[in-house]
Amino acid sequence: MNNINLKYILPRVSSSVRNTEQITQSDVWLKDIQFERGQLYLLEACSGTGKSSLCSYIYGYRQDYEGQITFDGKDISHISTKELVNVRKQELSILWQELRLFPELTAMENVIIKNKLTSYQPQRQIDEWFEMLGIADRKNYKIGRMSFGQQQRVAMIRALCQPFSFLFADEPISHLDANNSQIMAKIMMEEAHKQGAGVIITSIGKHMSLDYDKAIHL
Amino acid sequence: MNLVWKLLRQHISIPQFAGFFLANLVGMLIIMLGVQFYNDTQAIYNGEDSFMRNDYFIINKTIGTISGITGKSETFTEDEINELKSQPFVKKMGWFTSSAFQVRASFNIEDFSSFSTEMFFESVPDEFVDVMSEKWFFEEDNTDIPIILPRNYLDLYNFGYAQSQNLPQLSEGLFGAISLDITISGNGETGKFHGNIVGFSSRLNTILVPEQFMKWANDKYGSTDVSSTISRIIMEVDNPADENITQYLQDNNYETDQSKLDASKTTFLLKMIVGIVTSVGLVICILAFYILMLSVLLLVEKNNTKLENLLVIGYSPAKVAMPYQLLTIGLNITVLILSSILLIIIRNEYINLFENFFPNMDIPSLWQSLVAGTILLVIVSILNIIAIRTKIMSIWKKKD
Repeated sequence: MNNINLKYILPRVSSSVRNTEQITQSDVWLKDIQFERGQLYLLEACSGTGKSSLCSYIYGYRQDYEGQITFDGKDISHISTKELVNVRKQELSILWQELRLFPELTAMENVIIKNKLTSYQPQRQIDEWFEMLGIADRKNYKIGRMSFGQQQRVAMIRALCQPFSFLFADEPISHLDANNSQIMAKIMMEEAHKQGAGVIITSIGKHMSLDYDKAIHL
Repeated sequence: MNLVWKLLRQHISIPQFAGFFLANLVGMLIIMLGVQFYNDTQAIYNGEDSFMRNDYFIINKTIGTISGITGKSETFTEDEINELKSQPFVKKMGWFTSSAFQVRASFNIEDFSSFSTEMFFESVPDEFVDVMSEKWFFEEDNTDIPIILPRNYLDLYNFGYAQSQNLPQLSEGLFGAISLDITISGNGETGKFHGNIVGFSSRLNTILVPEQFMKWANDKYGSTDVSSTISRIIMEVDNPADENITQYLQDNNYETDQSKLDASKTTFLLKMIVGIVTSVGLVICILAFYILMLSVLLLVEKNNTKLENLLVIGYSPAKVAMPYQLLTIGLNITVLILSSILLIIIRNEYINLFENFFPNMDIPSLWQSLVAGTILLVIVSILNIIAIRTKIMSIWKKKD
């Protein structure tokens, strides 16, 4: 997948407020905007302006919007279940703001459950990341017993356990200290470069200090 | 798959599944037992001479004292036959043709004993013959005639004559090995034939030869024209317990074997009881299926977030649905296996009783009840699979 195009999309709940300043000044809502593979984007927004909704729309997870989202020109509202599953396995990776980890499983199991599906990362690499992010000693802890910051790191590792053309990171460092967010940014960007992928990072203020190609205001 | 299962087995309610398991087991067992019991009892009624028996009546006119004295034969007129034929309870109808020639049969067992007797033949259309034999045909250039005797004769010989005379009892097979010398005469001609007993009939109480032979022999040796004299009629009916049959026979002064009527009534009653019992089994199965469906759907509901997250990290709906589908199929198969085992155990108990009462019965195989169980398993499993898949798809297509 080489590009993701958002054409005049708007959450349905906002359709009654389409002429407000928030919508008219947005770079995304009701605009024609394209994300290119290989580029790094910063999507800035205030809380509650629809970052997570946007991620869900692009991920094909929610359809409560108007307008059109296309992958390489193909309207995603017309792709089949099988294609969408493939997109999620091969093309789009997402680090959800709410993480979506399984509290019943350990940190490592949470990563393995994804990597088993894609058989993408060698175990050695996963171990290395755990090490780098300082949670190697928590591998076998149940997710429910870890802090949100630690969980964020596990979720990031999981997000990298698949091939992708685009990586969405929805507020990836909201609960991380400067050091850890730097390590996380490094790991993330290394993997994205390796795959030649586009990266879209959302933020409500605090963001990874990276060399962004484009900053977009939502 | 193991991790997925580790996740999805959360919230599985053992009591609910045990409830389903027991209910389904009872339902399945009742259905299979019903089918099996019906087959087994049918085997008793049918004996070994019929593959799939329908209900037949052989009727004749009542022989009164006067007709006996006057020698007036009690034959059916064409109108009477047509009227009978048009009755709604008659499915098929045919009549007995009697021989219009003289028959003498003799047999010799070398240097041991010989036996000779006058006898007669009758024939009915082949479709009414309840003995399956590939020898049941006649060719003009062949002198072999297949013969079917009433089962009563065999019993009469084995339990009456042979026992009283200290003669060996004979099996059907042994009877089949005896070749009778048959001499037919009439119309100024005499013919010699070999008669082979090819079977014993419970339905047809006469000495039966193929209709083909009868036509040919009556043409050749027949001294009188018997084609128009019909004294016994055989008919197949749908429901032997139909009151109209008894009423009609009575009104027209026709006779039939009363015990046969009773046996048929019993069969009908049995069919009804088995039908009711099987239906109860089916209802229990449907309820069990409901319990299972509710448990599974409740489970899916409870694990909704987990399922959703699995879908979100790239698991396909089919993969997510599979653990629950395998769980239900596994349960269904276990139920089938267990109910088959119970069926075999229970059946062994009652079949011993049956065998005591009816030593000659052919014990039917189990395949019909097993097939019934399997069909039920397949239907229930398919419904389970569809229901689970639909539920997972509704999570997949989640619309906020």
